Amino acid sequence: MRGSVLPIENNLEETILNFIKEAFDKKCIEAVILPKRIPSGDSFAYLLIKDKSILEGASPFPPVIPVQGAKAISSLTRQGSVKKKILAIMHPCEIRATIELFKLKQTTLNNLIFMSYDCPGVLPLSDYLENPDENDQTFLAAQQKWDSKDMRPVCKICTEFSAPASDLHIGQLGTDEGKIFLIPNSSVGKEFLNAFGLNSDVPLDEWEAEVEKLKKERENNKKDAQEKLKTKVEGPENLLETLSSCITCHNCMRVCPVCYCRQCYFDSDAFKFPPDNFISKSEKKGSIRLPSDTLIFHLGRMSHMIHSCVSCGTCEDACPMDIPIAQIFNLVADKTQQVLDYKPGRNIEEPLPTVTYQEEELQEFEKPYSETYIKVEETNV
Amino acid sequence: MNDEYTPRIVGFLCNWCSYTGADLAGVSRLKVPPSLRIIRVMCSGRIDPLFVLKAFLKGIDGVMMMGCHPGECHYQKGNYNARRRFILLQKILEAFDLEPERLGIWWVSASEATKYAKVTTEFAKEIEKIGPSPVANEIFL
Amino acid sequence: MSKLLKINKGVDEGTKALLEYLLEKDKVEGVITLKTINANQGICYSLITKPEELKDAVPLIPYMPNNEGKLLSRLTLREPLADPIAVVARPCELRAFIELVKRNQGSLKNYLFISHTCPGVYPLETNVNGSLEKKISQYWNKTKNTELIQDTRPACKSCIHFIPDNADIIVSLIGEADLDNNCNIFLSTNKGEEFAAGIEGEIGEKELESKEINLMQNKREEERKKLFEETNIETKGIEGLIEYFGKCIGCHGCSNVCPICYCNLCFFDSQPNETQPSWSESDLDRKGALRLPSGTIFYHLGRLAHISISCIGCGMCTDVCPVNIPISTIFSKVGESVQKAFDYSPGMDVEEPVPFGIYKEEEFTEIGEQ
Repeated sequence: MRGSVLPIENNLEETILNFIKEAFDKKCIEAVILPKRIPSGDSFAYLLIKDKSILEGASPFPPVIPVQGAKAISSLTRQGSVKKKILAIMHPCEIRATIELFKLKQTTLNNLIFMSYDCPGVLPLSDYLENPDENDQTFLAAQQKWDSKDMRPVCKICTEFSAPASDLHIGQLGTDEGKIFLIPNSSVGKEFLNAFGLNSDVPLDEWEAEVEKLKKERENNKKDAQEKLKTKVEGPENLLETLSSCITCHNCMRVCPVCYCRQCYFDSDAFKFPPDNFISKSEKKGSIRLPSDTLIFHLGRMSHMIHSCVSCGTCEDACPMDIPIAQIFNLVADKTQQVLDYKPGRNIEEPLPTVTYQEEELQEFEKPYSETYIKVEETNV
Repeated sequence: MNDEYTPRIVGFLCNWCSYTGADLAGVSRLKVPPSLRIIRVMCSGRIDPLFVLKAFLKGIDGVMMMGCHPGECHYQKGNYNARRRFILLQKILEAFDLEPERLGIWWVSASEATKYAKVTTEFAKEIEKIGPSPVANEIFL
Repeated sequence: MSKLLKINKGVDEGTKALLEYLLEKDKVEGVITLKTINANQGICYSLITKPEELKDAVPLIPYMPNNEGKLLSRLTLREPLADPIAVVARPCELRAFIELVKRNQGSLKNYLFISHTCPGVYPLETNVNGSLEKKISQYWNKTKNTELIQDTRPACKSCIHFIPDNADIIVSLIGEADLDNNCNIFLSTNKGEEFAAGIEGEIGEKELESKEINLMQNKREEERKKLFEETNIETKGIEGLIEYFGKCIGCHGCSNVCPICYCNLCFFDSQPNETQPSWSESDLDRKGALRLPSGTIFYHLGRLAHISISCIGCGMCTDVCPVNIPISTIFSKVGESVQKAFDYSPGMDVEEPVPFGIYKEEEFTEIGEQ
């Protein structure tokens, strides 16, 4: 990997904001999408900004993800392309989700330039809201030390924290004090750096080594965390117990960047039954919980989107009952995506695993009649 | 800034009375304010409260709802429904101090060209007095 | 005066005894009430058809995982019940169901409503952090003494409709000094009397309205006034709206749990509410910046336009909000003024139509004539 080096003036945020302002001046872009603190000061919102004065005080590296960036992008471009050249600065998971939405035909990416950065993780939204000022400091410290202690559980085990399929990537790992790397991932990114007159041919071995190291560390964390979670969710009893406090508000689905359906199947008429349906079920078991579709909702949603789940953790942030829903989905997503050899958001050219196939694949999951049943018969004889 | 301020007003006019009244005002060469943008709806009962809210949140300075006089609705009862929705909207705007005086409703029949010219001019003046909508430049909507 | 049934058991046990009696004598086909579902503090509404399943029932636990009105509507959306089902519901849940029935989202037929004078419920988060269990003893103590319970939800503390007007059977809780040993149940309709006929207990007559109830009414009204004053939305204009709703993450959880919001597909999730990029770009040119996704304030104002007339103030929206916006207080406050303008009380009388789509020729006649 090769890229360029950018010196940090004062602090990282200011450097990036100045970089964007320069990009405006150099006519590389006409607008930018990045988070800014809302007027009440205790949370952040994505803004599409054209006016440089509004850019002042924006937060390219927010301590929380209140709204998944992919949702922001698709709200802008679901109905067609933008004409202005727009730069979007987002967490890697948000960019990965955007790419998935593009594959699902829920956004168009013409004229959009994506900028990502090595992500230290973010704080849980509810924790942050309890004391925004103090948590700003906590996050700042954690960000500098790459300490994921206070970050969200899925951030702690995220291995895709660096260099997604963005156009430009900000490398913070393995740099000397006072410097960051700007790494072009596409021809657009290269042009961008050229416009700035930056030499994009500096070798980035240190960065790569550092990323690998952190990846390994996170990989190990992930293994431990997943083992621990498995004991809580494996088997119907355990899973039901973990989901027992679910109130079926469907917040997880609504904030999920990949769940793009305007009307979820589980909210639709297909899930409205006559009273007999409930009563006969209840008579079989003595009682049924109401609403009766908690488990089918979660498992069904899983079957709809798990191959595209980017483990961004927004669902867990939005859950009023603190169910570790993002961790459960991460566990299943990991396995599913491994089997399908698919990583969501890895490559925009890669087709969704559910719309493509090879004739000679996944045979280990088949149980051909000739092999299983004939053998059984033979042994019976 | 205030020197160049010309208000932007949206008028939702029912097809059968108010829109025809506006037409007559034009034919009669009566003076009507240029700041009024007319949206023709088939009946004042078609004015969804969301139309009005959306207009305000887009930064429109004033909204006029116009329909047939009570009892004269082309569809018998559309304007009665509109009247209730107007009350609803006023209550919501009042509750949030969103300047309910920026919203008005008038009954203008097809022959009342002079009334049309009069109320639109007066309302435009009123809105000019109130000044530009504070919503227009809000970015966190 | 209505019939009073006295059962010599605590209120919890007494209510359960009533449910057991109804199920065992086959007076009802099933019972819908709150039930613990496992060790993990899962509490949810359940449809119980076998009496032995009632052992885990917790009909009076101060916790509300869903607005039951929504569930009752789910049950009878397609067709009315063929056989009676007894329902233990809070007054706000009954009111919500009545509003839904008015909107053709359910049927009252064959439901037997059992309710109580409601002391309120604790927020959902108390069951997440495990503090619910610890709070229960003080809950009953304060209920006995007709005290306001400060850590119940704001919507409950300020609720002035805590007497269930539509219930067939009312368990008296507020101000019942001896509720640990005595369960007073009012049979306020003929239907209620019929169903409860034959159950073990003393039958007497008493007025539901008591000194204690009036005292609580006053306390709640005071609290309501205070809460509405604190939520100062009426003087700040658009800035106040952004202050309150700016945090919104657009999960639409408030509409999803709202019993009145019954649409399968909310307008604000639908395609007509999506914007063309060219519109956003022209907004951007005009204002210099634009929130993404935009329409946060529009969503909340629009939802107010849709449901404020029927808002029964159950407080589910505040409870479910992941970013702690006091939605319920704001909706109750606006709802109160809208409902007053149309002289309408939501959920009181199923025969009273929702004020939109109907009209009187001789009303608001001063409007539009200036």
